[in-house]
Amino acid sequence: MSRSDSSTSSSEIPRSRRRRVAALLIAACGLHGTCAASPPQVLVVAQSLDDIVSLDPAEGYELSSMQAFTSLYQRLVQPDPDHPESISTGLAGGWQSEPGSLLFDLRPDAVFANGHAVRPEDVIWSLSRAVKLNLSPAFILNGLGWTADTVDQHLVKVDEHHVRVTWSAPVGPSFALSVLGSTVASIVDEREAASHATAGDLGNRWLHDHSAGSGPFRIRRYIPHEALVLDANPLSPGDAPRLKTIVIRSVPGAATRELLVRVGDADIARDLAPDQYAGLRGQPGLQLWEFPSAAVHYLLFNTTNTAAPELANPALWQAARWLIDYQGIAHQLLKDQYLVHQAFLASGFPGALDDTPYRLDIPRARSILHAAGLDHGVTITLDVFNQAPFTEIAQSLQATFAAAGIRLQIQPALTGEVYTRVRSHRVQAVWLYWIPDYFDAHSSASAFALNLDDGTTSIAQRAGWQIPELSALTLAAVREPDTGRRRELYRQIQTEVQRSSPYVIALQERSQLVMRANIRGYRQGLNADMVYYDQVTK
Amino acid sequence: MNPDGRAATQRALATLLRSAATLAGTLAALLCVTFALSSLSPVDPALKLVGEHASAATYEQARHNMGLDLPWPQRLGRYAVGVIYGDLGVSQSTGAPVARDLRRVFPATLELATLAMVVSILLGLALAMVSAAHPGGATDALLRVLSLAGNSLPIFWLGLLALYLFYARLQWVGGPGRLDDAYEYTIDMPTGLVLLDAWRSGVQGAFASAVGHLVLPTLLLVAYAVGNIAQLTRVALLTEASKEYVLLARATGAGRWTVLLRHMLPATASVVLTVLALTYTNLLQGAVLVETVFARPGIGRYLTTALFAADTPAILGSTLVIGACFVLINGVTDLLVRLLDPRT
Repeated sequence: MSRSDSSTSSSEIPRSRRRRVAALLIAACGLHGTCAASPPQVLVVAQSLDDIVSLDPAEGYELSSMQAFTSLYQRLVQPDPDHPESISTGLAGGWQSEPGSLLFDLRPDAVFANGHAVRPEDVIWSLSRAVKLNLSPAFILNGLGWTADTVDQHLVKVDEHHVRVTWSAPVGPSFALSVLGSTVASIVDEREAASHATAGDLGNRWLHDHSAGSGPFRIRRYIPHEALVLDANPLSPGDAPRLKTIVIRSVPGAATRELLVRVGDADIARDLAPDQYAGLRGQPGLQLWEFPSAAVHYLLFNTTNTAAPELANPALWQAARWLIDYQGIAHQLLKDQYLVHQAFLASGFPGALDDTPYRLDIPRARSILHAAGLDHGVTITLDVFNQAPFTEIAQSLQATFAAAGIRLQIQPALTGEVYTRVRSHRVQAVWLYWIPDYFDAHSSASAFALNLDDGTTSIAQRAGWQIPELSALTLAAVREPDTGRRRELYRQIQTEVQRSSPYVIALQERSQLVMRANIRGYRQGLNADMVYYDQVTK
Repeated sequence: MNPDGRAATQRALATLLRSAATLAGTLAALLCVTFALSSLSPVDPALKLVGEHASAATYEQARHNMGLDLPWPQRLGRYAVGVIYGDLGVSQSTGAPVARDLRRVFPATLELATLAMVVSILLGLALAMVSAAHPGGATDALLRVLSLAGNSLPIFWLGLLALYLFYARLQWVGGPGRLDDAYEYTIDMPTGLVLLDAWRSGVQGAFASAVGHLVLPTLLLVAYAVGNIAQLTRVALLTEASKEYVLLARATGAGRWTVLLRHMLPATASVVLTVLALTYTNLLQGAVLVETVFARPGIGRYLTTALFAADTPAILGSTLVIGACFVLINGVTDLLVRLLDPRT
């Protein structure tokens, strides 16, 4: 992460005089003046919460809910906030790796926020229910070979402080640890959640807007599309949270979020547009932070679309790699909110390939197209989300592709519509982004470099890319127990995808946020769930 | 009961039954059209719910749970039966029953729109009368500017500008949200009407905070509504000005304002009421941009979010509530017009 600008709160806009005038005016109307500062001991975060479907870790799989889970729940193991590339202890104080299984030692002093002790039964129930409910993130646990029928036999209570976890899928222990460190593997208090179960829902409906975890915070109140209010858990593991309350306000307009943080009614504002962020640079009382994000953006050609046979021609894919103005998009168009990255593992991920061999080179692209007989004028429809920055990126692509004789017809649509068309193989080309589901290279590799033609969905399957050898290599990598060797395999896979796939990976996101100058201790990592409020002070 | 009284009762009963049938018919038609449009949506609701990465089994389970594997007539029938029993389904984007969501968001819109309406009526009628009393005068010019500005300035832009000036720079009013952070999410909101709930909470400063946060969004909606009300009322008044009864009233020595208030304004009641009804319904369903800019809950924002999420139960529920409001307000307006104008 980097802090690009800061200044102290002493240089804030003077407000006392204005407040006195306002107080007089408003008092004349029988009112009192507004208080333009968030309350002490309360951190106010302005962002959109419209994406939250559920705050049950077995169901919630959206950016905002995943950010919240880290504050609400612990997992057996979880990424170390300061060194996210390594798995650290969570509710388990340690573990022993055995072939095909892991034996976890539960912390004897671990308790949920309501005071209940964490038991092996809670671990087994939580993991089992996530598989049986079979909601959005269940596929992550399915990666261990667990199904609703078999999961119970893979989770065994050894004694009051030990749980043995086994798996039937051909994967190694490091992959299993990554899966158990994902948010869907959060440990829920069985006694609390089960007591609110209705119609066999394993507490799912109640956990939509309540929490039953052992994380540093607990839900005080969740109002959909309005706010998520978290109270500090006094029984929190390690140091208790420094602040008593976190208020995450849903503020849909980016301009409104900017105003809130400028005035001081919000301490942190997320998801500002590149122009807004650039405009706040050097503003007194604010500090601007940038954190790398695991999201990578890419152009995909659907080779199965027979309406445009050129899409299946590898020469088109090769030419496209030289037809993107990587630097211009990342730095000029999107004001450094993105960086050029050309491999599916985001920079910062263990095993990530940071080579960027491609640049905008129109003559080279033209010669590739000419050699392949594609220089007679190719027209391709490009589907894109109808919002910033996707439409801007699409316009840049349209201009550079046109210079090589490829006519891109931009088709903007709602996010849901684009994904519906991608799923049904109706797109020709589409600009998308990818966020890993858990902090393991296999999450991305199984998307970009695995097509088993067995009904399993992946990006390779969506593109119709037939890759039996690469798929075998991807499966070998996930089985590999040696960490160093495993990373090397993923570099090989990324190189191959970078060189020959029908997608062009171009950019990696930077997560930018604006904070009041008095905020300290905020931490954020590469993955969506790596948002840590527990050490924040103001 | 005498025959005249019985006939009047029967007429009233027939009118009531006709109104109820109109309401039911309109809502049923609205339900069918909205359902058909939702079915034609290019967004797959199941995919939107489970996400692009979910397994095929999870996707199929979601389709089944949402009833998407059923033929559409069966889905419509199932939904309609639910509506009759007051069950509007469960929102896919909030995970909560739609009826509960609507009980939460609709009062917020109702409060904002009603406040804006009250201010707009007072201001609009006053402007219209002054303008009609002095056609071509300064007030008349001001009214034209107001009307033009209200209809042509984008409310989103105007809202941001007002926030920047009066909240961020001058700090005269509360900003986005319904209360200051010190009160918001801490006081209970049983009615969903922030003024009432803040008052009843007894928390010192909460009511003033609620008022402070309502000032800007209310005035913004007023800016949108007042021009229309004033302009159309002015035209109606000026139309009456040349009629014989007005000349007669003036000839009898009645003053300008007496003629306006006692003779002309009552005569334009039907036009004014219709304008007010239309404006109120527009405010109820058209506050979405104000709700977005000011980060306030409301049915407009709820519906918009549901549309983006292809959340069919929420779309249908919101449409029904807005439709019911339209029918009710129009019905009440018709009734009032009949009462006030015997010719209709």
